[in-house]
Parts: sequence; C-alpha cells; structure tokens
Amino acid sequence: MNIGAAIKDVIDYQIKVLGGRTVGDVIFFFVILFVAVIIAKIVRINIRRTLKEKVPKTTLNAVEKIFYYGIITVGFLAALPYIGVEPTGLMVAGGIAGIVIGFASQTVVSNLISGIFLLIEKPIKIGDGVSLGDVSGVVKDIRILSTTIRTWDGIYVRIPNEKVFTSNIQNFVAHAARRFEYKIGIAYKDDADKAIEIIKNLLEEHPLILKEPAPQIFVEELGESSVNLAIRIWAPSSHWFSVKTEMLWKIKVALEKEGIEIPFPQRVIWMADKKKG
Amino acid sequence: MFGKYDLNVELKEEGIEISITGKGKKKSYYRKAGEEEVEKIIYAEEGNVVICPVEPVNLPNEGTSQHLLIELEKPIIIEPRIEDVFYVKFPVEVGVFLIDKKDVERIDIFTITKPKYILYGPPESGIICKWWGSDAFSEAPEVKRLYEGVMKVEAKNNYSEWVEIRKMVFRALDMKLFYNEHAFMHSYLEILKKTMGETSFNERKPKNMKRAIDIYLAKGIKRLEKKFVMEWGFK
Repeated sequence: MNIGAAIKDVIDYQIKVLGGRTVGDVIFFFVILFVAVIIAKIVRINIRRTLKEKVPKTTLNAVEKIFYYGIITVGFLAALPYIGVEPTGLMVAGGIAGIVIGFASQTVVSNLISGIFLLIEKPIKIGDGVSLGDVSGVVKDIRILSTTIRTWDGIYVRIPNEKVFTSNIQNFVAHAARRFEYKIGIAYKDDADKAIEIIKNLLEEHPLILKEPAPQIFVEELGESSVNLAIRIWAPSSHWFSVKTEMLWKIKVALEKEGIEIPFPQRVIWMADKKKG
Repeated sequence: MFGKYDLNVELKEEGIEISITGKGKKKSYYRKAGEEEVEKIIYAEEGNVVICPVEPVNLPNEGTSQHLLIELEKPIIIEPRIEDVFYVKFPVEVGVFLIDKKDVERIDIFTITKPKYILYGPPESGIICKWWGSDAFSEAPEVKRLYEGVMKVEAKNNYSEWVEIRKMVFRALDMKLFYNEHAFMHSYLEILKKTMGETSFNERKPKNMKRAIDIYLAKGIKRLEKKFVMEWGFK
C-alpha cells in the first residue's frame, strides 16, 4: 500500500458524528475559515491605512470590526455545509431573531445609519464650534451612534446621531473667515467722517482683522439720539470671538480720545412761551 | 545677528537684544524685541544656539495661517509664453533654536514687523494668509535684515493671454529659507490659466549662504506636495 492511497483513505474516512462527512470535508471547512480570516485581516489593514487620517479612532475601530467579523461570518456560513450543517436552518432561525432584534433596535440602527451619513457628509468635525438644535459648543467626538459636545460652559452633552442628522447644524468654523458687526452711535454734533477714519485706523492696526475682505464702516441710520455707525469686520473663524470681545471697547476709547461723544438716549423738549401764549 | 553661537552669547541689533548667560548647566535666556520681552531658563551643558530666519507665518498666532500672500504695490503684467525674474520683499520672523548632535529645539520666534492677515479666495473655501505688501524690483533690493528678506521670483506665463499679477501666495511648508546678511528665498510662479497658477521653491542652497532651520522638518512634518496651486487668481 503506497502513501498516496493511505492519504486518500484518511481523507475519504467518514466521520459518523458529522452525518457521514469525510475528513476531507472537515479539512476543507477549516481551509475556508482560514482563508476568510486571512481576507478579513487584509481588509482590516487596508481600511486602517485608508481611513486612519480621515475618521476618528473610535469610528475607525467600529468600521474595522464590522468588516472583520462580517467577512469571517460569511466564510463560516459558506463552510458550514462541509461539516453537515445546512445554513438554511440557521437562516430561518436567524431571520426570526432578526425581526425581533430589528424591532427592538430600531433606534440603534437609525442612529448607526445617521452616524455613517454624518461621517460621509462631514457637516461637523471634531474640534469644530457648532450649534446643533438647542445645544452649542465644541464637538469632542463623533461616534458611530452618538456625538458628544462640550458646551461653551463646559457641560458634557451626548446627542444621538439621528437627532444630529435631522437637526439644523450651524458650524461656526467650517469657513475660513466670518464676519461680525457692531453698531455704535455718535452725537449729531460730531463729524461722522472723522469717526469712521479713527475706527478704520484702529482696525488696520489689529493683525487678526482681515485686510480683505476689508472692514466696512458706514452711517447706517440717523437715530433718535445719535448718528448710528455700522462696523462690519471679517476675522479668521478660529479667532473671531476674541477679536469681537476685544475691539468694541477699543473703539469706544479711541473715539472718546478724539473727542467724539457716544451719547445717552436723549429727547429735546421745547417749552411753549407763556408770554406769547 | 543670524548665525551659530555658543551657549554664552549677548547680541544687540536694530533694537533687538538676545542673551544667554549663566555658569554651569543653568542658563538664562533673555530676548527683547520692541516692547516684547521673553525670559526662559535653559538647562544645557553642550550644544549651540542658532539664530536664523524662519517661515514667516508663525506670528502673532501660530496655526492661524500656513500661507504667505505677497501683494505687489504695482501689479506686473506678463506677456504670453514669457519668463521674467523679479524680486520682492517678505517679512522676517527670527527663530532661536538650541541644537546638539541629535536634536533641534525651538526656544523662541519673534518679529519686529507688523503682522496682518488676509483671506485669499471666497470665505467658504478660501484660506487665511499672512499678508505682506512689496514692490517688485528688477534687482535684489536693499533690506533691513531683521525686518525684511529678499525673495527672487521666477515667473513664467504658460497661458495664451496676458496676465496681471498683483498677489502671489506661497505655502510655508514649501518654503526653503537661506541666509547670510539677510534672509533669502528663491521661488517659482507658473501661470497656468488666467486665474490659476502654481508656486514652488528652489531647494538648492545659493553660494555663500546658509540653510535656515526648517521648523516643519524640525517638528517632523513632511511635505507631500511641493507646489501650491493658486486657484483664486492673482488679483
């Protein structure tokens, strides 16, 4: 008896507990599983390389796991017939279980799908200053099911992704620059052109007030108590708030230093002359 | 002021004072530029200090911009298929570094220029750039070396029409700075369309000049693209 015939006998040997499946079938089962694991690992490495710089670590881990275990599960189901287990039976049981789980996890799936769309559409990024519905703050994390925000006053808020996806999103730093506006009233007796020139020179001195788009300063309204100037300033989105909080007082000080009055609300009252009356 | 010094040095130039003093390992670093003063303690036995120009986009707020926009006071109009060389001035930022055989550590960056930022492109997709205004010179201009440097620009109009250039944008990551008496860069501007061009830098060290410390390389940041595409025009 030669070696080839001996190996063939082993491979063809039927295993009773597996419904008469041969050793060869069992080996094939493990080969399919092994190949599935190898493919899953290759896919996982490629996903990591491709998405490493593009998505947050937590999301990357979730995506990796979905693909890794998904491929192994498909390989396992494909290999099952070789050990005498028909996946159709599992499918029926799985289908019923799926319906039950599906009803129970509607919200979770909805959040998951919304999370995936948020990652694709990217209306917000980690570190952005945003307003999501009635919550404003800095995005700390975008996970597969929820987004976390640190509000301006330092409170941790977790928002389900479905809510993020369907709410009005305002991203304060999505664009490179943004504009803010002041309204300042000067007295009627003062020269508006001089006031505009003083403010213009002051804004020119500040490095973070953009040279272009240039600031706009103009008489917007002849008010009840003052001539109202509108001052529109562009600043880098990352610094606009600090510039806004800094400049208003500086404008006030600069105007008063040059003798330009910022008046209180006032009303001129004419008294009827008694003698003439 | 530019150069390599021992860890005991006192320098004064154009209103700028830099000193590293002290005996033994503990040294005291002091710098005054204009009204700004900085003091630090350094623990070092060996090593040197290097003072050189750095990419001029770090001040006043590091990270606000990584691009330098040079606006010409008089625009240049270039004929189709023509190459021209001109010089412009750029703002100088001075870096102070501690170096030894293994490492480079930045301890200070300062400038005596008045910084200003500008938006290049539209607000929704443009970029914030450090702004500087300069004339275009046919020969390398005289400069106050701690205030301005000289940039040689080789402009080439590859487009089929006349193109007017008022603005040029350079990416700090691409910059290659050199120095002797003053800071120097050699850049290229290639006009591809009426409103599109590419800027890049010559990496070759000119004769009698030293290579400045590249702060991006010192941070371990590598360049993938070596050209910046000006997609919002030259005006």
